[in-house]
Order: sequence, then C-alpha cells, then structure tokens
Amino acid sequence: MTALCVLTALAMGIPLTLVLTPLFYAGTLITADVVSYFTPLPPGFWDTMKEVAYLAVRVGDYLFNNKPLDPQLLGIGLGVLLVPGMVIALALWMAILALFRRAGVGGALTTLNAREPNPHDLRELQLANVVQEMAIAAGLPAPRVMLMDSPGANAAAIGNSPADARIVVSRRLLDDLDRDQMQGLLAHLIGSVGNGDLGIAFAVTTVFETCGLLGTLINAPFGPHARGTLWRIVRYAFGRGASGTPAEAEGIAALLTGDLDLQSDDIDRFFDSGTRRGPIHKLLVFVFFPIFFTNAAIKFTLWFFLTALLGPCMALLWRSRRYLADASAVQFTRNPDGLAGALRNLTQDETAIPGGIWASHLFVVSPGRDTSVRQDKPTGEQMRLVARAWAESAPVGPAKSAYTTGDYVRCCAELISTQRAAVGGDATALARMTAFHGVISTLVPGPIAQSLPDPADLTAALRGDPAAIARLQNQQESMSRHGQGVQKRTGFQAESIVSFHPSLKRRLQRLERMGAHVDWGASQKWSATKIIGTTIAVLILGPLALAAAALMLVVVAMMIMLNLLFLALWLFAIHALFGLLAHR
Amino acid sequence: MELSYAVLAVAIAAVLLVGMLYNGLVVRRNRVQSGWADIDVQLKRRHDLVPNLVESARGYIAHERETLEAVTQARTQAISAGANVAARASAEMQLGGAIGNLFAVAERYPALRAAENMQLLQEQLTSTENRIAFARQHYNDTVLEYNTAVASFPRNLFAGALGFSPAAMFAAEESDRAVPQANFKL
Repeated sequence: MTALCVLTALAMGIPLTLVLTPLFYAGTLITADVVSYFTPLPPGFWDTMKEVAYLAVRVGDYLFNNKPLDPQLLGIGLGVLLVPGMVIALALWMAILALFRRAGVGGALTTLNAREPNPHDLRELQLANVVQEMAIAAGLPAPRVMLMDSPGANAAAIGNSPADARIVVSRRLLDDLDRDQMQGLLAHLIGSVGNGDLGIAFAVTTVFETCGLLGTLINAPFGPHARGTLWRIVRYAFGRGASGTPAEAEGIAALLTGDLDLQSDDIDRFFDSGTRRGPIHKLLVFVFFPIFFTNAAIKFTLWFFLTALLGPCMALLWRSRRYLADASAVQFTRNPDGLAGALRNLTQDETAIPGGIWASHLFVVSPGRDTSVRQDKPTGEQMRLVARAWAESAPVGPAKSAYTTGDYVRCCAELISTQRAAVGGDATALARMTAFHGVISTLVPGPIAQSLPDPADLTAALRGDPAAIARLQNQQESMSRHGQGVQKRTGFQAESIVSFHPSLKRRLQRLERMGAHVDWGASQKWSATKIIGTTIAVLILGPLALAAAALMLVVVAMMIMLNLLFLALWLFAIHALFGLLAHR
Repeated sequence: MELSYAVLAVAIAAVLLVGMLYNGLVVRRNRVQSGWADIDVQLKRRHDLVPNLVESARGYIAHERETLEAVTQARTQAISAGANVAARASAEMQLGGAIGNLFAVAERYPALRAAENMQLLQEQLTSTENRIAFARQHYNDTVLEYNTAVASFPRNLFAGALGFSPAAMFAAEESDRAVPQANFKL
C-alpha cells in the first residue's frame, strides 16, 4: 500500500513538474543574475544553464515532432524535467504522512457528541456485547464503541490501527436493526479493521491531502485563506494542547481537500482589478501574471488528475475493500442474511450523519441515498390509499369517493402540520394522528405505515423523550424531502466521479452468492426498452465523454504552454534588466 | 571447488526453508493456544454469571428447584472438569443446556421475564453463549489451519519429529450433546 502511495505521489509530481521545473529554472537564473551583479560568475555557469534550457527544447522537440535525439541526452533531459516535481510531491506526501500519522482517520467523529454506551440500557448493552462477540469471532482485540445521538442510521470504524480502533454507531441504528443484523453490520466493521482497512483509508486520505496541500501552497502567495490553512498546519505540527488533537487534524484535512476545488477566492480577489486598488497593486498583478497562469495550470491539472484518475482508482480500491469486509462479516457470523438485511435497512435511510460529511467513505453504507435497488416509494395506488386513509381518519368522515395523487400531496402537507401541532401538545391533533395511524395500518400495511410517525412516539415526545423527538424530526425531514433527487455526494467522495461505496445491488448480489436470501422485489427486472435506452445513451455519451476528457487534456497542455511563454517573457525582461545594469 | 559451493548453497537454502516452515508451524500453534485461552475466558465469564442468574430467578421461581439445581450442579461439574479438551467441552455443553432449560422455564413466568434485571442478565448470558460459540468457531478455525499445516507436505516430514501433534477441535461427542429437555408439566 505504501508503495502504491509513493507511486501515486510520484505520478502527481508529473503534471506538477511541467510547471515547477521551468519555475525552478527561472528562480535559479534570477538568483544567478543577482549574484553575478555583485560578483561575476564564470561563463561556464551560463553555458551550462543554456545547455539545460536547450536540452528541454530538444526533449520537447523529440516528444512532439519526433526529432531524433541521443537516448542518453533524452534520459538526462527527462530527468531534469521530471525529477524536481516528483521530489517535491514525494516530500509533501511524506510530510503529510508524518503529520497525520498519530491522528489516524475519522478523528472528528468522536468529538461530535459521541458517548460510551450505557450498560443499563438493554439495546446499548446489546451493542457493546455484539461488538465483543464479533471481536472474538475475528480474533482481534475488542474495539471501543462510541454512540452518536444523530438522526441518521449508520456506523463506521475509525482509528489508525486495529489496536486502537473505535467503532462509531449512531443511536438510531439500534432502533432500526435487530440483533442478527447488528451482528452482521458490526462483523463488517470489525472485519474491515482486521483486514487493515484503517491503514488503507489513512493512505488514501494522505494522497488526497497531499493534493490539497499542493493546491494550498500554490495559493499561498495570493491570499489569506490559503495562508491561514498553512498556519494551522504549522501550528498543528508543533502544537500542544487543543491545536494538536485528532479533531484539529481532521479539520485541517477537510480544509486541504476543500482547497482541491477549482474555486479559488484568493486568486480571484487578488486579480480582481477593482477601482480602489492602488498602482502598486496593479504593478504586482502585472508582475505576478505568469504565476497566475502557473497556479491555474497546476490546479487544473491536479483537479483533472484527481477527478478522472486518482479518485476513481481510490474509489474502486475502497470498494473492493468493502466487498472483502462483507465477506469477512459472513465468515465471522456464518449468517449472510444478517448483513444483507442490515444493508437493506440502512440504505433506505437518506439522512446524512452530521459531522461525518468529510469521512463519509468510512461508513458502512454511503450516507446518501442508494437507488440501485427499488426503495419503497409509494405507487399511485398507495398514494390514493394514503389520501383516503387521511380523509377517513378525519372526525367528519370521508367526503369523496375517489382520490388522486394531488390529494396525496395535500394530505402530506396536512399530515406534517398536524404532526407539528401534535408534538406541540395539541390533543385533537394527537387524536387525529392516532386515528390516521390506525386506519393506514389496516389499509396499506407495510413500509408506508412504518414511515409514518408512530403515535406512541408522539405521546413520548410530549413527555419530552429526546429519542422520540429526534425520530419524529427525522421523519418530518424525510417526508418533506420526498420526491427530491439524490443527495449530493459528500466529502472527498465528491472529488471522484465514482462512488466510494459499491451499490447496494452489487453487495446484495454477492451476499446472495454466499447464501443470503434476498428479496429483490420488482427492482431486478430490466425492461427491454430500458436496456435499449441505456445502451444507446452509453453509445452516444461514451465517445462524448472521451472527447471531453481529451479536450480537457488539450486545455491543460495549452495552459502549460501559455504559462511557459509568459514565464519566458518575464524571465527575459528581468534578465535583460540585470544585463543592462551589469554592463553599465 | 565449484561443486562444493553449489552443495553449500543448496544446504543453506534447505536450512532456511525448514526454518521458515518451522516458524509457520509455531505461529499457527500459538494461535491455537491463544484461541483456546479465549474460549477459557468466556467459559469463566459464564461460570461467574451463573450464580447471579440463579439468585435472580430464585426470587420468582423458587419452586422450580430441579431446574435451578441442575444449573448449579452443571456449573460445579464444568469448573472441576480440568484441562482435557474433550471432557471440558462435554461438561460445558451440559451447563449450556441447563441454562437454556432455565430460560425455557422462565418463559412461563411473565413476571420473571419482564423484570428489568432479568432482561439485562439474560442479554449478558445470551451474549456469553454467543461469545463462547464465536470463540469456539475461531478456535476451531485456527485448529483446522494448524492441523492442515501439520499434516500437509512438506511440513509432515518433520512436524511429528519436532513435537507438533495435531490439536483437538472443541466439539462434544454425539452422545453428550443431548440437551436436557425442559419439563413442561404444570
């Protein structure tokens, strides 16, 4: 894994190097100019520099125009071109590795109102016990368990080695899953820890962070935001007390990966030719203009590299680890049904874990909504039934004989407001909710009735039970979000075009091969039209996507060329200036 | 001269190979031992929980003396079973059966079932049963791996001579596995 990371860091150095090497060369030349102003340098030095520059031109000639070149010269030329960027990228990666090693992954999750399970609560005791059981089955030291009182149902393994791994579980998970499912889920997490996924997650993170650090360093001359980030890193590196905690590491990591975005406020502000800026600033802008190009070229290349190459590779790697952990879970529990049921249950949930945004790849299922297996979205018939149930539960009785989906939408709105009133303490609203719940569970049994608020929860919420209130709020959110699109992917999952989690369908298929009984429902049947439509779409969009990628590469190349051109002009001007000064 | 160098190289390679194979056996044997120790820990945990369970249950079902005494007796036997894997396994099986019997009886007393203390205790015992089962599973997996390594070529050439004998799995004899039936006479 480490070797892989070194390779990635080196690969990251290649785009970097195209920009950095000329810059480095320019820096050397300028320094030489300054030095030779005071004490003239031997002419041999200038000859060498010229030789080096000419070498670069010839390598370019060889690469683009197929001009013949002595292989030895080619080797030296490529070395001169590529090595500095690679060395810098590698050094940055090692710095990141040293910096964040003690923090491990997912440190921020523990600071988010995470607590120990309460041994007097039956479900929480069960959780602690199940973790112990699975650790025994895996032959590992039992990890610590932390509970999060968050509305989303999910779980993650964090830490930096099997010895100090921690398992974070949201409290709602305990209400949603039965013991077997919980066992499967925790076996997945502990299996993942036992397979060394924490180390891999850490390595993946460091690669992304290195990318981010590069971006930050490049931004640093231009604005306060990047400098602030760098200052935080320095403070963390030498930090004592609060600034040296894992949470701070996580915060920095989030900042760094945030810098991977193409939006760079600092740069925009710097080059924003506002009217209030003085002439000095304008001069600075003029002088720094080549650097702006350098900046843009590096960032664009990095972004492209990350989104189209590195991100998908890491995502696929991480996916295969998820499959492996699923298999380990089955090996430990000898019960594939538990994990299959748990995965199914969890992906029905579309609430993200608060604070877990950055570390979303660490969770068992992606906190967004998975659409690969048909979920319980109400059909038209069910919508009409719900509307009918709502009307029938009213004190005055049913007024209509037929109901439409429009009624369903209205009924949902009414339901939400009535529920709010009921939580607020309105007795008639509470009675209405109870009546509605009674009617709906006879009319439309199944998931629809389950997705509605439970009257028992309502009464509990009136007494001030925080768990019931949290459940109700979560239900309200999911109801008001009903019909809205797929949630945006979060964290550095957003940096990759491929999700870090395998789709539920694939996972269930694999579990089925291991003996799980999966109820596919209507989701597995693909109609012929759908298949044809998808094929046509792929046939049309595939070449387009390829063309877009090629175009991107061309844009990157053009940016680098422009950057070189400006740099050369700039350099030439300075060199000429010094030349004039020296000759006078 | 060159021949002697070749012989020397082959000899060194052979020694290194045997050393590696031997180390692999040692690692596996240690895993088996630690697996056994893990089971032992869980069995002790059960022994410690049993008196608590019996005391809690006695308050509600004092008249089910037979069931309660069977549990206590099975525990005493299990504690004194010694280090022999087979004997230990069958004694522990008896204890597990007696505890299962007690829970089956407890199902008939709603007051006992509903007592919060009893629920937590039952969860602890369920978990302990699971832990024993998983520890056994883990132990048996390690034994399987170790026995396969000992019996397969080329390790079988020297394993016996170096004192690596096959380990026993944690499984009771078929006749010992008969779980005492719950007495459902009322």
